[in-house]
Amino acid sequence: MKKKEVRAITCIICPVGCKARVTIENGKILKIEDVECSRGEEYVGRELEAPVRDFFTTVRIKGASTPVLPVRSTQPIPKDKILNCVLELVNVVVDAPVEAGDVIFKKPLGLGVDIVATRDMNRVKEK
Amino acid sequence: MTKRNVDIAVIGGGAAGLAAAIKAKEKGIENIVILERNEELGGILPQCIHTGFGLRYFKENFTGPEYISRFIKKAQDLQIESKLDTMVLEITSDKKITAVNSVDGLLTLQAKAIVLAMGCRERTRGALGIAGTRPAGILTAGTAQRLMDIEGYMPGAKVVILGSGDIGLIMARRFVMEGAKVEAVVEILPYASGLSRNVVQCLEDFNIPLLLEHTVTSIHGADRVEAVTVAKVNVDWKPIQETERTIECDTLILSVGLIPENELSQIADIALDSATGGPIINDYMETSVQGIFGCGNVVHVYDLVDQVTQAGELAGESAARYVLNELPTLRKKIVLKAGDNVKSVVPQIISGEEPVTLHLRVKKPMRNVKVKIGNLSIPKRVVRPPEMVVISFTGKAIEKLEKKDELRVSIEGETGP
Repeated sequence: MKKKEVRAITCIICPVGCKARVTIENGKILKIEDVECSRGEEYVGRELEAPVRDFFTTVRIKGASTPVLPVRSTQPIPKDKILNCVLELVNVVVDAPVEAGDVIFKKPLGLGVDIVATRDMNRVKEK
Repeated sequence: MTKRNVDIAVIGGGAAGLAAAIKAKEKGIENIVILERNEELGGILPQCIHTGFGLRYFKENFTGPEYISRFIKKAQDLQIESKLDTMVLEITSDKKITAVNSVDGLLTLQAKAIVLAMGCRERTRGALGIAGTRPAGILTAGTAQRLMDIEGYMPGAKVVILGSGDIGLIMARRFVMEGAKVEAVVEILPYASGLSRNVVQCLEDFNIPLLLEHTVTSIHGADRVEAVTVAKVNVDWKPIQETERTIECDTLILSVGLIPENELSQIADIALDSATGGPIINDYMETSVQGIFGCGNVVHVYDLVDQVTQAGELAGESAARYVLNELPTLRKKIVLKAGDNVKSVVPQIISGEEPVTLHLRVKKPMRNVKVKIGNLSIPKRVVRPPEMVVISFTGKAIEKLEKKDELRVSIEGETGP
């Protein structure tokens, strides 16, 4: 017997936030309704198969004017890996100076993306 | 005491002020100074470490620091002077500025034009009047963000967030990522105040409960927050006593709105709009005082930094034209008044002759709507209070607009999200 269901998925690609209605049969998408653009349709498809999210957090930095450095992943990562990825970076301490784009951690959890700095941090004189 | 003359003084070095200064410099104004009270340029962006910035302006998905560094570098490349750690104490309607810092001491500037770009501040507990004790552990969302993502402190371990504004939603996710437990986000309205994308990726992704039509009625704890009482509210926003329950927590985060910061504008006798809390501006972003312009969140609170940058560019260009004696005075002044389901409209005064972009804030969600401005009607699929309604008029459309001294801007449609 065929299993058919309709699921509601809110698109997060842009601030419009389309509320998509997706009809699924036996795990396959039959149709996507109420989405305004093709990027939204792409998102809804990915969200059902393997949802990903942008990843960003801070790591500790020494020798800079503040104690934390903001970082991000070069590409989105699987949604269910966000908290694991944070834990992977918990003990990272970098030394100033750092430039935006510098790789801070290579391929956490073997995900195939790098963690990079998102701002410059100059070295300041030790007090 | 240091005294000097400048062409343009920009008050505030965040997204709006940087864009204004850069644009004015590009228009040929040499003598520009940015006055910034923080130790670095960038305003709020350095602490907004999440993504979602620049999708419109750069067509890229930047974090806050990545977005603003492009403007900081550009300002440096253009050799625009900025005075950091500098507090502006007073501006006058004849464009005299008094400021203070530890290098110049007391500083007096006579400017030909001023750009106001002071941004906004967060509404605090005092504005809400929540009952209870006054323990440590009650912070605004932006303060928590600064502590966590700039200063490297963790403000709490068990958190309740009051208000579902975007910063509150974003901090809910940050708290969970940093190992805290977020017990609930409490919202008095029947819908989230923040963008729905943030409800999904900040709350639903981490199974954080969103309590709609609820509020915090009391805060408990002597030295530190120990718990809060929450209750469901009725249609008049009054708490229903039988629904009260206590949630144990050590931190209460407030994300209950932003207010344009206009103490300086008031000193200069600039007319403010009670609906936005910011100066009344015209097509050119000029305030009621000639030669003083406003841009960004000091005028009204925007959804996106991309829009703030554009507003800054327009104000910077106008200030440059004013200094060069190229800025026309409006021949005709049409005052725009907020009508049905419109909370505010910016600019408040238009010429009705030049292309203009209107920014509206609606009171309640509606669908299949018509935005009516005088005799013109513009269809929109849906309007929601968290999302600013942006309507651009080309020269052609504006020609058709009836030229009355006052026009109502109203929104008609079906109730519901």
